[in-house]
Formats: sequence, C-alpha cells, structure tokens
Amino acid sequence: MTPTDKSAEKFERQMNLLAALSDTTQGIRAADIQQRVPGYNPDHDSFRRTFERDKKDLLSLGVPIEVVVGATADLTAYRVDKSKYELPDPGLESDELAALHLALETVAVGSSQSDMARAMWRLGGVVDAATSDSLGVPIGELTEIPSDPALVPLFRAVTEGRTATFLYETSAGVSERSVEPWHLDFKRGRWTLSAFDSAREDQRNFRLDRIRGDVAVGDVASQAHPSPSTLVEQSDPWEFGDNEPVLVSVRFDSEVALFAGESLSSCTSTPDGDGSVVFEVPVTNWPAFRSFVLSFLDHAEVLEPPECRAAMSDWLLAIAGDPNG
Amino acid sequence: MADLTAAERLDRTLAIVPWVANQPNGTATFDEIVDRFNIGADDLRDCLVITSMVGVHPYTPDVLINAIIDADTVTIELPDYFRRPLRLTSEQTFALLTSAKALLSVPGADEHSALARGLAKVLHALGEASETAVEIEIDTASDAITEQLRFAVDSKCSVMITYYSYGRDNTGSRIVDPWSIHSEGGLWYLQGWCHQSNAERIFRIDRIREVTHTDQAFVVPDPIPEFRLFDSADAQGRVTLRLNAATKWVLEYYPTESVTPEANGAFSVELAIGSVAWLERLLLRLGPDVAMLDASEGLESVGALAARRLLAIYSD
Repeated sequence: MTPTDKSAEKFERQMNLLAALSDTTQGIRAADIQQRVPGYNPDHDSFRRTFERDKKDLLSLGVPIEVVVGATADLTAYRVDKSKYELPDPGLESDELAALHLALETVAVGSSQSDMARAMWRLGGVVDAATSDSLGVPIGELTEIPSDPALVPLFRAVTEGRTATFLYETSAGVSERSVEPWHLDFKRGRWTLSAFDSAREDQRNFRLDRIRGDVAVGDVASQAHPSPSTLVEQSDPWEFGDNEPVLVSVRFDSEVALFAGESLSSCTSTPDGDGSVVFEVPVTNWPAFRSFVLSFLDHAEVLEPPECRAAMSDWLLAIAGDPNG
Repeated sequence: MADLTAAERLDRTLAIVPWVANQPNGTATFDEIVDRFNIGADDLRDCLVITSMVGVHPYTPDVLINAIIDADTVTIELPDYFRRPLRLTSEQTFALLTSAKALLSVPGADEHSALARGLAKVLHALGEASETAVEIEIDTASDAITEQLRFAVDSKCSVMITYYSYGRDNTGSRIVDPWSIHSEGGLWYLQGWCHQSNAERIFRIDRIREVTHTDQAFVVPDPIPEFRLFDSADAQGRVTLRLNAATKWVLEYYPTESVTPEANGAFSVELAIGSVAWLERLLLRLGPDVAMLDASEGLESVGALAARRLLAIYSD
C-alpha cells in the first residue's frame, strides 16, 4: 500500500469516522468531525462533500447514523446508537452457519449473491463442508422463491413496526392504501400481506402482485401487532374482497373433489354417495370465486344461493352467445 | 488492495475485526480468516495494518484498536466500539429467513437439522418481530407421495402413477421414469419420461393420487433436459385475444408469444395453447368481453362451445 492509495485513505477515514460516531452518546458535530477525524480536508466545502459521501457509504452498508438536530445548523450532531448497530450474537455453531450459507446459496429469493456473502460475513464468515444432511432436505429440488419488489420494503415495515403506503389494484380499479403491515405469507405460489388498513379500521389482506409502483415505508405504526395465531388467515383470491361474505355452496365431482378440497380445506364439506363433495365457501370476491369454479369445467356446479347460481348461468350465457347466430 | 473497493473492504473489516476479537485470546490465524471471509491474504494484511491505526480522539492507546500482526496470526483487542458486527440489512435478513424457511417447508424436512437450529438461533437474536414476519408454505403436496417419488428418483426405478391431467381434464394411470423433483412458483413437479406418451413430461405432484413402485430400472439422461413447465414448441395451436384493463392479468400469469398495445389501454396478445381444456378454462374465466382476433383451425369457437356445455348443468 502506498500513501497515494486513495482507496486505502478512504477506508481508514471511514473507519475512524464510524469509530467517532459510535463513541458518542450525545452526538458529534460536523465541525468536530472535521477537526478530530484524520483524513478530512481543512477546507469547509471540500470537507462537507467528502463527509456527505462517507455518510452515504456508511448508510448504504446499513450503519444507522442518527441526526441529532441542534438549535442551529452548526449544532447539528451525528451519532451511531450501538444498540441499533450491533448484531446480537446468535451463537451459531459451525454446522448451523454452514447450513444457513448453503440455504442462501441454494434458494434464490431475488437478492444478489454478493449481498448474501456480506450477510454471511456479519454472521461469522462462510464455513464450508455443509451437506444436504445439514439442510434436512434434498438439495436441488427447491431453487427459487418468486420475488417481488414490494417484499423487502414491506418486510422492513413489519419488522420495524412502520406504516406503508402503496397503490393497490382490485377489480374496482387502482387506489392508494395506507396500512400497518403485520405479516408476509407465501402460499400456493403467491406472496400476501396481512395488515391493518387505516382507512377501513380493520385487517385486510393484499396480494403483492396487485401492488403497483413503489411501497413507501413511513413512520412507526400505532397498532400493536397481533400474534400470528390471531390473524384472520386469508390466502385465496375469493377472500380478497371488501364485500360482506356470501356463503356459496358448490358441488365438485369425484374426479376433482380431492384437489378442490386442498384449496378449500378450511370450508365445511359434505360428501355425496357418488364420490362428489359439496363445499360451503365464504366468498367476498365473486369474480375470483367464479374463476376458481370455472377452472374445474364440467366438474363443478354452483348450487346455492340462487343469485350466485343465476350469476354463473348469466356469465356462461354471455360467453355462449346465440348458438344460431 | 486494488482488488477490493473501499465499501467491500469496510464491510468485510467490520465483520472480521469483531470476529477475531471474540476468538480465544482474541487471536486467529491468517489462513482461517482468509478462508472464512473470502479475502486475499495481502488484502487482509493491508486492512489489518490500517485497522491498527483506527481510533477516536485523542488517539491515545486506550481508545485505539489494538491489532498485533504476526507472520501467521493476528490478535485484536477492542475499545468500546466495533465489538459486534453490523446488523443485517432488511434485504439480507429477508433473504436469510426466506431461504431457510422455504427449505424447512419442503415436504419431509428435518426439523432438527443444523439449518432448523441455525434459523431458530438467528430468529431469536433478531427479536420477536422477525420471528413472525414471514411464513412460507410450499404447496400442499403430500409428504407420503413426495417421499415415494424421491425414493423412485434415487433408486432409478419406474413408477406407475395415478394422475389427474389438467390439460386433458381426466384421471388415468401411466408408467413414468422419474428423473427429478423441482419446485417452481411454490408448487412441486416431477420431471420424467412418460411411457404412454413416449416423451418427456412434467407432472404436478399435488395432482398425483397414487404411486406404485416397479422393479423396472431406467437410465437417467445425461444431462437431464432443462426443466420447463411449458414449451411453446409443443403447442396445439395459437390464439390472439384482445385484453382490456380487467383481463390484462393474463400477461402476468402466462407466457405470451407477442403483446401489442392497442388504443384505450387494450392489448392484443398471442398465446401458444397447450391443450383445448386449458383454453376452455382461460376463455370461461375471461368472460364475454374478450374478443378472439385470430385462432388456429379448430380453436375458433372453443369458448362458446365450452360455455354451452357447462350451461347444461345450470338448466334447472
């Protein structure tokens, strides 16, 4: 290394800056940083540019730099709260560390490999020699979980107890929703969010593939998070509606009753003698449920209530057109 | 030092320094650090030399990082900072929890594996909010069927499966050489050679009702062909539909041959059709507002004919 190695100078300066920010509880003013942290230019403007870049670099690594606002701009101070900086020691054994590393390498969830490597360093480095035994499942069967741009901001909102705002598309159009996110769930190939909907003052569930644009993460939320066992679990498209639930009764014949039952496992069912099964399904989103029933073609029939049976019939009539036309 | 950017060097050093300091006597060998943190020996030495000069005002020995660098080892003693690594970012935490939870949701996963233990410790360290933040459930394929198929894949013996074919809309039995098991989009699939079709086929495992083992050995192709759920080269025909705002979800769900924007937010979209039953389902779900602009021979009236067939069920 030579004194002209700019990268080494920057590394040393940023290490010293981080040490200074971590060593204060009151915060350290920019002027003091300029004086006390080696490597900064005495010229004010030059210092300010370098300091802002360094701050940005540290923030991008996840360093929680706090701004302590003073009475005047000169008194504004900066600090790093050690309790927010430090990763609590999980106490991982080598085989556990290796298994977590293998899991990150095996299942892609939309993150870059280099970012995952950095996560492993923070947990104690990369230990090889993991086998499928350490995972407890055969390697190679599961290689990806579908990702979604909304996942990480919503995860952050859940874990930090913050609000989130996004545009959400339903059959009624696109509207802005402000929520207090509680829980993310991946089921049957889809990500869903359970959240407290501020405008509706109740729990709502959102499909992530219906979120349009960016998710804005806001302030700390007001509601206490319920434990997951008290969440109303909704994972089927016909439960993602704002209407009052209607109990729809549908018969599935013996060919498909088993598969229909896997999607309707929480519903009341009555087997018929011929192998068919009648399910009673609470529906808040009729178009979504109509689609589900139609995906079984001739093997499913809406029985009750009469208005749903008539709605299905009308829908089919409109598609069938005039057979003589 | 030229190999690492300043950010990479900083990130890695902030992990290496507390790790070394927490080893017995605060000492570790260069070889071990190089292996664990995937860093070149020269880079590591340079980083540690600089680290030994880091501290806070007034830079007296008690507030400097004390790094003693020997030929093969380094010993680090820390003041009251850098004692723990930096917390994981939201992206990192999410990826770690999701990948581990996903693997542990695989049918038959060992809940006492090193992965399960490691995940439990990480969740505990991250706190209550992270423990319940994400749940993963990879479909509903039965453990028993999946285990039987895994056994058949390992033993390289053909199986007889009873399978509901969504494309053909019927249930039947067939002999299959099971090559491999995959998960895609949250569902489980068996890839193999179907003796009835005399071709490669993909089967959704949750639609397999029964598996019977045979003693008929088979040879796995090398390499196994790429796993693809639908190959448009196998299509039975093509249709072109006009989709509006309410039906454009089709673009997100299905592979398209071409998409052409039209006026008023509409799209004309060309789809390769795997089977008539698949097209029937799609057209019945899309409803009367979707116009069929073009279709291969025999597919022109599929939607109307299916609707008339289903209407018979509702003719009270």
